[in-house]
Amino acid sequence: MASRNRPRPIRRPLINKEAGGFDQCWATLQSAMTDIHNKNASKLSFENLYRASYKITLVKRGEDLFNKVKEFETEWFHNHIIPGVDELVRNNLPSIALIQMTTSSSHERREAGERLLRGIRKIWEDHNTSMNLIADMLMYLERSCAETKQASVYATTIGLFRDHILKYGLKDVDGSDQPFIIMDVVIAVVLDLINMDRDGDIVDRNLLRDITGMLEQLYETDEEKENEKLYTTIFEPRFLTASEVFYKAECEKLLRESDAGSWLRHTRRRLLEEEERCVTSVSNFTKDNITGVVEKELVLAKMDDFLAMEGSGLKAMVDNDREEDLGILYQLIARIDKSKSTLKTNLQSRVMELGLEIEQTLKNTDFSTPTAAGASREAEDGTEGADKPKALSPAAQQTAAAIKWVDDVLKLKSKFDTLLENCFSNDLVIQSAITKSFADFINMFERSSEFVSLFIDDSLKRGLKGKSDEDAEFVLQKAIVLVRYLSDRDLFERYYQKHLGRRLLHNKSEIHIEKELVRRMRAELGNHFTAKFEGMFKDMELSKDLSTNYKDHIRNLGDDDRKSTELAIHVLTTNFWPTDVMGRGVLQDGDASRADCIFPPSIKRLQESFYKFYCQDRSGRVLTWVPSTGSADIKCYFPKVPGKDSGPLSKDRRYELNVSTYGMIVLMLFNDLSDGESLSFEEIQLKTNIPVSDLTKTLTSLSVPPKFRVLAKEPLAKSVKATDKFSFNAQFVSKQIKIRVPVISSTSKVEGSEERKETERKNDQTRAHVVDAAIVRIMKQRKELSHTQLTTEVISQLSGRFKPDISLIKKRIEDLLAREYLERMEGDTAAYRYLA
Amino acid sequence: MVLRKFELEAKLKDDTQLIQNGVLRNEHPFDTSPEFHNFLMACRRGDLKRCQELISEGININGKDAYDYTPLIIASLCGHYELVQLLLESGALADPDSFERERAVYNALNNKIRNLLLSYDYSKTADPLQYWSTHITSLLSREIPPTSDITLSAPSEDFHLHKFILSARSPYFRRKFAEAPDTTTWKLSHNIPVEAFRIVLRYLYLGDLPRDFVTPRSAVTEEEVFKGIDKLCKQLEIDKLWEAVLSNDRRLARQRQQDEVARAQGQISAFFRDTVLKHKIEVDTRKADQVKWPQHNAIFANVLLQADEELPEDDSASDNSAPDNKDESPTPNGGIPIGPAASCSKPPTTFPKVKPRRSVLYPAHKPFLIRSPYFATMFASPFLESQPSDYLHTIHVDCTPPVLEVILSYLYTETSTCPLEHALELLYASDMLLLDALKSKAAVTISTLGSGNTNALVDRTHHHPDGSSSVQKVEQEPINVYDVIHAAWDLGVQRLEEFGARYLASRLEDYIDEPEFHDLIQESASRLKSREETDTIELLDDIRYYLGERFRLRFEGEGLEEMLDEEHLQDEGEYEGLDMEGPDVGLEELAMTMGEGDAGYVGNGDEVIVEGVDREGDEDKRGENGEREGQGVVTLDGVVVEDEFASDAVNYHILVEKIDRMLEKLKLDA
Repeated sequence: MASRNRPRPIRRPLINKEAGGFDQCWATLQSAMTDIHNKNASKLSFENLYRASYKITLVKRGEDLFNKVKEFETEWFHNHIIPGVDELVRNNLPSIALIQMTTSSSHERREAGERLLRGIRKIWEDHNTSMNLIADMLMYLERSCAETKQASVYATTIGLFRDHILKYGLKDVDGSDQPFIIMDVVIAVVLDLINMDRDGDIVDRNLLRDITGMLEQLYETDEEKENEKLYTTIFEPRFLTASEVFYKAECEKLLRESDAGSWLRHTRRRLLEEEERCVTSVSNFTKDNITGVVEKELVLAKMDDFLAMEGSGLKAMVDNDREEDLGILYQLIARIDKSKSTLKTNLQSRVMELGLEIEQTLKNTDFSTPTAAGASREAEDGTEGADKPKALSPAAQQTAAAIKWVDDVLKLKSKFDTLLENCFSNDLVIQSAITKSFADFINMFERSSEFVSLFIDDSLKRGLKGKSDEDAEFVLQKAIVLVRYLSDRDLFERYYQKHLGRRLLHNKSEIHIEKELVRRMRAELGNHFTAKFEGMFKDMELSKDLSTNYKDHIRNLGDDDRKSTELAIHVLTTNFWPTDVMGRGVLQDGDASRADCIFPPSIKRLQESFYKFYCQDRSGRVLTWVPSTGSADIKCYFPKVPGKDSGPLSKDRRYELNVSTYGMIVLMLFNDLSDGESLSFEEIQLKTNIPVSDLTKTLTSLSVPPKFRVLAKEPLAKSVKATDKFSFNAQFVSKQIKIRVPVISSTSKVEGSEERKETERKNDQTRAHVVDAAIVRIMKQRKELSHTQLTTEVISQLSGRFKPDISLIKKRIEDLLAREYLERMEGDTAAYRYLA
Repeated sequence: MVLRKFELEAKLKDDTQLIQNGVLRNEHPFDTSPEFHNFLMACRRGDLKRCQELISEGININGKDAYDYTPLIIASLCGHYELVQLLLESGALADPDSFERERAVYNALNNKIRNLLLSYDYSKTADPLQYWSTHITSLLSREIPPTSDITLSAPSEDFHLHKFILSARSPYFRRKFAEAPDTTTWKLSHNIPVEAFRIVLRYLYLGDLPRDFVTPRSAVTEEEVFKGIDKLCKQLEIDKLWEAVLSNDRRLARQRQQDEVARAQGQISAFFRDTVLKHKIEVDTRKADQVKWPQHNAIFANVLLQADEELPEDDSASDNSAPDNKDESPTPNGGIPIGPAASCSKPPTTFPKVKPRRSVLYPAHKPFLIRSPYFATMFASPFLESQPSDYLHTIHVDCTPPVLEVILSYLYTETSTCPLEHALELLYASDMLLLDALKSKAAVTISTLGSGNTNALVDRTHHHPDGSSSVQKVEQEPINVYDVIHAAWDLGVQRLEEFGARYLASRLEDYIDEPEFHDLIQESASRLKSREETDTIELLDDIRYYLGERFRLRFEGEGLEEMLDEEHLQDEGEYEGLDMEGPDVGLEELAMTMGEGDAGYVGNGDEVIVEGVDREGDEDKRGENGEREGQGVVTLDGVVVEDEFASDAVNYHILVEKIDRMLEKLKLDA
């Protein structure tokens, strides 16, 4: 039986497993706990206590031990602590009475309250220390608790504080039957102290922090769920409610007694205070909630009232550039509302108001005398302003109005830009809101496109000569800013084309600045917008080459005949240039065509010679001569006037006159006249076939202003009439040799309402074509589409150029249906199919 | 994630390349020693006990043989799950980035092992000393409980440090402190920037060195710091620091850190042996409380640990001898003189005839003791032990001196070799000290070593012709399985509960009739019932499970039962003399036929059992006979059957039957 022999070499462990051990061990532990409570822990041997609890736990009686400890602690509370608490609270009755808000001086209340809290804090701290020691002592039990997922000893014994102290009801106070729960009293006192703190009293913040810290360490149950802290479940809601009440009252007081500026500053201070309080007096977890309360009660609740305040509200802030106020306002609103809708709408409406105000002032301003804005501009221009006529022509008035409008808009814009940067930290939401409002009011003003173009025209023509690149840059930027706002870009394009054409032909501006501006427009608005302008530039360049080449060509021919007449020609591509420049508008009226304009024979020869030259490499092209936009330099010889011995009239005079093509044609007529002869208006018209309106302008410029009176008119009146007679003014005299006779029509001016209607009509026509094209393009691609989808697509395609009218689109669709580009789908009338 | 074969080869190439270039250390050195060969053989056999012994002897667990096999690869290839687990727990490298791990995974016999390997990631195996070194680093900043015994003060900063560690790590400090052991403050030179000190200290305390030596705010340049470090290195004789400062490659730095930690462990182990173990004091238990050590002593101990010898069998005898002993002990002022020199003057070892109970006192150092939460709490709480006193506090640890030594060695150096005879006590002691790692080590020791001399839990009803069975015959049970199971229940060690059940299942025939076994079952049943109303007896369920495994293990898996069964009918004779690896047989069916064939067994209940028990002693002899004759084997009830399969079947039934009978007797339902 060898294999049955099983010696057991492993010693049994030293642990004594006798059942009797429990009572003995518990006795040790119990007396130790008493010592711990009496702060005699340093005399106890951890080793022995641990061994005692270890033994008990090892024989699986941990649960009994656990319950005994609980019992002991409960008893301890009842025998040693609660009497003290009872007394403590009773002795500080004023703080209890505060629940009923009886009157007692705040000083007394504070003293009593702090005494009470100090007492509670001491009890709590003692208990906490003791429980820590007991938990250490029962460490092994603690471990086995953790394994079985039971609540730990520490959690349970700490929980006893909650059950036996905080939830202890104080009876027979103030003669009321309702027992006062200690916790309620404590919290009420804490809240009262916090309110005193808010009112500026000095309270013991550390004390408050310790008490709230205590509530943070206690849980509703012994399971210690993170979201069931007493602090979270009981204190915080009460704290928030109390704060709500406090701030509601404060806000109303502010509304009654202060203005918006101090409201903003006060609110900001309160927010900082509360944030600080979350460090010094209450838990940091509450930060978001309490600032939420302040935001709600102080900021949100009466914000509209404050913003609407007369003299200090948003209006005043914006108008008076109160940047600090606006800055605070923005910060406050940004905290509450990510979309900042209140501020946004308020600002937007203010922008609209101011924008409409500009329009209003425009209407009410009399531009017959140079306005302040105009005057200042002229002052800048210096020389020109001085001898300008005091009263402006209606056209000039309009121009001045346009410039004023643009100036005002730009001023407004820069004001809001400053605000945006200084107060709203360049917030994108606000920025886009403001931009939108600007676009809105600018587009509400029906002449905005024209005015903007006029402004640019004016600046380029007058403002930039002799100015530095920086100034030019500034103007360009302003121009682009404005252009960006415009939604009817095709209209603007039309105006700009017109103005640009004039500037180019009359060489009124510097080409590199023009090009730069167009380049920027392209960056902003896209290629298709600037294609025509670039075409115009190209024409100008080609023409320049052409002129030089032609000159060379003539020289090479060695033909001396035409030496006297030099030709500088602009060959313009029909599509790029505005129709009225090309004279097509006239054609459509069925009026006399410009081809009928009769050139003097010498000029005619020149034209033919050039055409021949031009067709050398470009056969088949047709050149149409447009006299209405050209100019000519004419050398005039004025013989000395007999009978005058001194003065300029006594000598022969030679002048070089720069006149329009029409002017040249007219003047050439007088070459054939002998002295003293005159021509009547009708005769001139007959001989030249110049359209009446143009002829009137030409003759006016040559005969009315004394400075350029090359022709003498009979009778001498300001306006030119059909019956007037003209003769060569031999007495003409001028200080300058070179005289530039201004062409009246070359001054860009605001259109009259009829002209504008005309422009709009033309524009609408173009729009119709563009819409047609868009519809066909879309349908070709999609084949079938519902009406609404089609409309949206058209709008989105055209949004870069203008905002198409829905009714316009509908009309165009109907038109296309009629022309059988499209057909309605069977069964679904709201959908279309493309017909190839 | 298993790599493809070509990826595996690429990885091998990379690894070899890196090793050849000297970038990486070869973690799997070539090893041809006979010990390693034995180790690999044990791994092949799945011999847990042998492996555990070799590992605790310090064999290189990551070596490789002539065929590039590492123990881990072999063990997974041969399908020894427990062994693979043991190897991994003992530090076999399974770095996911390594060729070896991939190879082991690739070769794993079954998915269970494969998943085990995959679940071991680098962090678990990389550095067995990781927790130890982290603890030492944490001492630099840890304030509770206070453990510092020296303060180095620079002009702007004070460092609270530990003489023990400083002495162990730097020869300079060792000399200085040997000269003046009661130093408690130390002024640092003004000439060396405080940043340099900080880096040197982090190095000494095994912390990571910061990437930037100079923070933007510090007033000194990097160069000055370098100079300071250089000076300190020379002064403190810690030349290796330079390497650490200069190495910036991440992998190299990691390797260097590992080397450094290993070096530090060596230093501290040596210091531990020199101080703690050399200065232990053996005294009579009654006089242990008279031993007094002053606070500032030459070995910087700040607490004394006491462990008592086992109680002598005869208590009265020691009582009688106590007074004599007291008179003899030379304690001049009620305490024992201190210091390395004085410590030789232990109480003279003249013992009376009857040996009194002896105790051993170990001087110990708080910085290391607080690795145990028990000590950490003890020194942190304001109890007696943490109060300042003139003499060191003596703390009683409930275990025998050898066990305390194991525990101390673990706390100081992370190494622990626990002989089986102390394992159970260590289990209890480490549980009390809340040392979970050590506790599981003790449990591993028991469950691997405790299973007998030969292969673990081998079925003893099978006898191998190599004669090992004759050894087994006189085998002493290495452990008391009842104690083990009780300990497992007391301390909640699942591993040991399972082990106990397996152990019992593997030799159930020895235990089934013992009254202690019945008591154990009874206790297990009551354990469960006290917890919840249930009808199962946990221990018994486990035993049944392992019993099933024991007998059925060999028959599972092939799924050829029916076919074989047919063959069996056709040609019964062929089964004779087949060895274990032969074709499988449908066990149940076989058992049925055999069982029914044996009328005596089925019919006569008790009688048969008694007979079986009686004959157990003879079974070996019979078995040998049977084998010699090549005529089949003998079952537990002594009946000779054709072959081992048949005997297994019969044995299984006998044991199950016995269990049922026992339950009936105990009036338990299960």
